[in-house]
Amino acid sequence: MAVPTPILEVRDLVKDFGGVRALDHCTLDIEPGHITGIIGPNGAGKTTLFNVVSGAMRPTGGSIAFYGRRIEGWGMHRTFGLGLVRTFQIPREMQRMTVMENLMLVPAQQMGEKLWASWFRPGRVAQDEDRISTQARDVLEMLTLSHLADEYAGNLSGGQKKLLELGRTLMAEPRMVLLDEPGAGVNRTLLRNISKSILLASAERNVTFAIIEHDMGFVMAMCDQIIVMANGAVIAKGTPTEIQNNPLVMEAYLGGLNRGSP
Amino acid sequence: MELAGVLNYLVGFFIMVGIYGIFSLGLNVQWGFTGLFNAGIAGFFALGAYTTALLTTPAPDAAQVEDFIFGGNLAGLPYLDWGIDFWFILSLAAVALVCGIVAYAVGRLTLRLSGDYLAIATLGIAEAVRLMFLNEKWIANGSKGLYRIPEFLGDLVSPANYDYLFLVVVLVVLALLYLAVQRVVNSPWGRVLRAIREDEVAAQSSGKDVYSFKLQAFILGGIIMGIGGALYAHHVRFISPITFDPLLATFVIWAMLMVGGSGNNRGALLGAFVVWGIWSGTQFLPWFFADPNFRFFMIGVLIVGVILIRPGGILGETRRVSRVVGASSHTPVKEGGNPKE
Repeated sequence: MAVPTPILEVRDLVKDFGGVRALDHCTLDIEPGHITGIIGPNGAGKTTLFNVVSGAMRPTGGSIAFYGRRIEGWGMHRTFGLGLVRTFQIPREMQRMTVMENLMLVPAQQMGEKLWASWFRPGRVAQDEDRISTQARDVLEMLTLSHLADEYAGNLSGGQKKLLELGRTLMAEPRMVLLDEPGAGVNRTLLRNISKSILLASAERNVTFAIIEHDMGFVMAMCDQIIVMANGAVIAKGTPTEIQNNPLVMEAYLGGLNRGSP
Repeated sequence: MELAGVLNYLVGFFIMVGIYGIFSLGLNVQWGFTGLFNAGIAGFFALGAYTTALLTTPAPDAAQVEDFIFGGNLAGLPYLDWGIDFWFILSLAAVALVCGIVAYAVGRLTLRLSGDYLAIATLGIAEAVRLMFLNEKWIANGSKGLYRIPEFLGDLVSPANYDYLFLVVVLVVLALLYLAVQRVVNSPWGRVLRAIREDEVAAQSSGKDVYSFKLQAFILGGIIMGIGGALYAHHVRFISPITFDPLLATFVIWAMLMVGGSGNNRGALLGAFVVWGIWSGTQFLPWFFADPNFRFFMIGVLIVGVILIRPGGILGETRRVSRVVGASSHTPVKEGGNPKE
């Protein structure tokens, strides 16, 4: 079998914030169909990597290719159009909109998003809406949130908001999803729910995932590839077992054990 | 005599409520649904009023002109005399076009600003528009203003009864605009606007071109406000820069939307009725209380009261999925159901 071509190729990516270099010649590949974990100590540049790749921030230097297409410096709504979708560390739901609306918002190219169509083509708009609401109900069922469909998203618990955020990415019918700490602040039961949904989406919808996460149990169980970052660059890559036995990773987490400290 | 007087007052009152209802509706598109802090309503008000006045008013007598005036006379053009006052519709279309173009230009300049900065920028632009009409006398007669602005279908009824007819005109325009706005804010287009109001970054990460939607909402709101301004000009029949003072041309409209309930079009109209009712009704109070400053103070008290007791306005926003789908839509928001509280 041929070596799979990576879906996402990041080369020498640099991002400076004033004098701070958050990404320092970061280079990595992510292969299609995998669930890749991205780990590393706080300040390693993981979230900045997601911000730059998803288009929320412009890189200072380097290149990003998604399916062979150079996307560095694109806005978020354009990377979204290619099927590259991200979530946030702290869920960003539309508070005063219902759960259902939060989901129905997402699909691209909706007829009813055009002013003239809303006025003059109500039939087509309604058709679209029926299709999208069915899709949203399916996603809600998969996330076990159906009973909250008409609740304001702002009234959900922290964990439910994480699920809703995952649901929003699924509504986009993405090719690749960047999840920023899906497990943070979520209780065990909900976390199992989130893991299950991710595995389901990966298997059934063939979505590629990259996940930033600090919960090592979660990462080791879910991911088949792990990328370790420290100080804005990738320091190791491999399977969970390889990573667990890598001395460089230990050093990054525990801080220069073999550098001859006093 | 007494009854006729009351009736005349009421007709005039409801004309103004209708016109201010149009402004309030326009602001609701921008602020209530999209969260755009437009503090320059007066600018669109003035543009709408001046555009229609310049297009339809015959040039005044030379003795009363301060300077050159280009005063068009759409109403007097023979080929527009089709038995009906067709010029009125033509002029409203021109108002919509002018306000749309100006809203586009202003939006391109300012819509990347957030919150309060947008308010400062739009307030400044509205004042600039007003001062332009004041100082550039060749455009519209400077501080002396434009007068004898023609009445739509003025030949049909006697001047004494004209207001009855104009009330119908205002209500028809208001109803059309209301239905048009209702339709789009309840469609996926409106859903995107509300998403932008709630969280711009999240809307962007859901693939929405936030800037483009903001621009569309700003333009639609600006056009609606311009049409309100045009109706005002044909009702009062005299406009000058003083008409577009921010107090009565911007902030009263904000008060209306806040009191009525922003994010709810019926609330916007109810707010216009309540606030204009207080503003207009208090002039009949005895001595001190009829003072305009006191009457403004009453509106201030009303705003504070509404914010304390019902922060969402008298009619709050309604919860809905999508009125196009129709299912499980618009249950009224529960008391305390607002997650931001």
